[in-house]
Amino acid sequence: MRPTDGTDARQKRKSWSARSIGSRWQHRFFYALIRLAGRRAAHVMVVFVAIYYVLFRPSVRNRSRPYLSRRFPGRNALLRLWDSYRITVEIGKVLVDRAALGILGPGQLTVRHSRREDLLERIREGHGLILVTAHAGCWQFAMESLRMLETPVSLLLHREEGDVDLHIFEHGGDDAAFRIIDPAGPLGGALEMLQVLKHGEVLCIMGDRAMGGDRSTIEVEFLGGRVRVPFTPYQLASATGAPVVVIFPYKSGPGNYSLQVAKVIRVPEGLGRAPEAYRPYAEAFIRALEGFVEERPYQFFNFFDMWNQEPVR
Amino acid sequence: MTTVEKLKKILVEDLNLEELTPGDIDENAPLFGEGLGLDSLDAVELIVIVKKHFGIEIQNLDEGKAAFQSVHALASYIEGRLSNG
Repeated sequence: MRPTDGTDARQKRKSWSARSIGSRWQHRFFYALIRLAGRRAAHVMVVFVAIYYVLFRPSVRNRSRPYLSRRFPGRNALLRLWDSYRITVEIGKVLVDRAALGILGPGQLTVRHSRREDLLERIREGHGLILVTAHAGCWQFAMESLRMLETPVSLLLHREEGDVDLHIFEHGGDDAAFRIIDPAGPLGGALEMLQVLKHGEVLCIMGDRAMGGDRSTIEVEFLGGRVRVPFTPYQLASATGAPVVVIFPYKSGPGNYSLQVAKVIRVPEGLGRAPEAYRPYAEAFIRALEGFVEERPYQFFNFFDMWNQEPVR
Repeated sequence: MTTVEKLKKILVEDLNLEELTPGDIDENAPLFGEGLGLDSLDAVELIVIVKKHFGIEIQNLDEGKAAFQSVHALASYIEGRLSNG
């Protein structure tokens, strides 16, 4: 019998964490600040909190260093500190905006879609739609904004046990804009994902982070080094005929977010299960991501060493 | 050839289980995890295989989970669906 690639293997491999670096009281403090003084006041607080984290919490700097050192090679120590500060402020503001949307409701923020009709057109093809995104901007806004498609949206997402960082819908007790499929569930959520596409619905998957073991990933070049990205989205596309659309949500201004439709990827049917067959499509995604980080370097929030074969916290 | 035998042959060939022969597969062993050792990637392919070779689409999640318990369970599911037209 073959070695399995199930939960145990995943736990061993998964040394990165999606859990917030903040403690429960820190989150509650910000939630209270948003309620009492509004989103802008919380943004001001983020600026000071980011200074503390960058200067006195080296572990926070270390998390962003692998990415920043590749995006900005050859920086001196001061500029490295500045880069770390910029990305910490950006993610802080995004987290505040996300909480504000959940706590204070719609109207706090606007999300612009440049190619809504494009997405609707792909859905009308009737094979479902696979949206591949990355840890860029605020993907949860993207999910919220996909309500405009008027089609059920499911997201492949593993929720860390005990994570104190709330999703938008968890603040107000509203219905989620999307259904979550847990990759740690039976058969890695494969049946649920196929079901979603079979019903002509929308499935969203993070293209920059493997949820399963190494078998579901393929090595590609990203920012001058080798990283492993999942090929599951493209395998699902091949199995179902669903088009793949690469999207990146990003903060485009104070109170404004945009959803960039970066690329449409067509995967031929019947490619089977050999990872190499999916390399061109994983490469297409990673080139789109490189374009995104070129334009918006401080909005790629991937705080683990993608370039290390054994990812580190 | 019975459905179980046909399935074993298809699994070995279509999933490239190079280290196995159809005779090595225990029809009552779990397909996933301990047992045959398939994983979520194989689940996607398995659904494609069932459609390709038997013309059957797994209708819903519960059916799929039950059918994917073992080769025997999958064969029974396929036979049931075929006999119901």
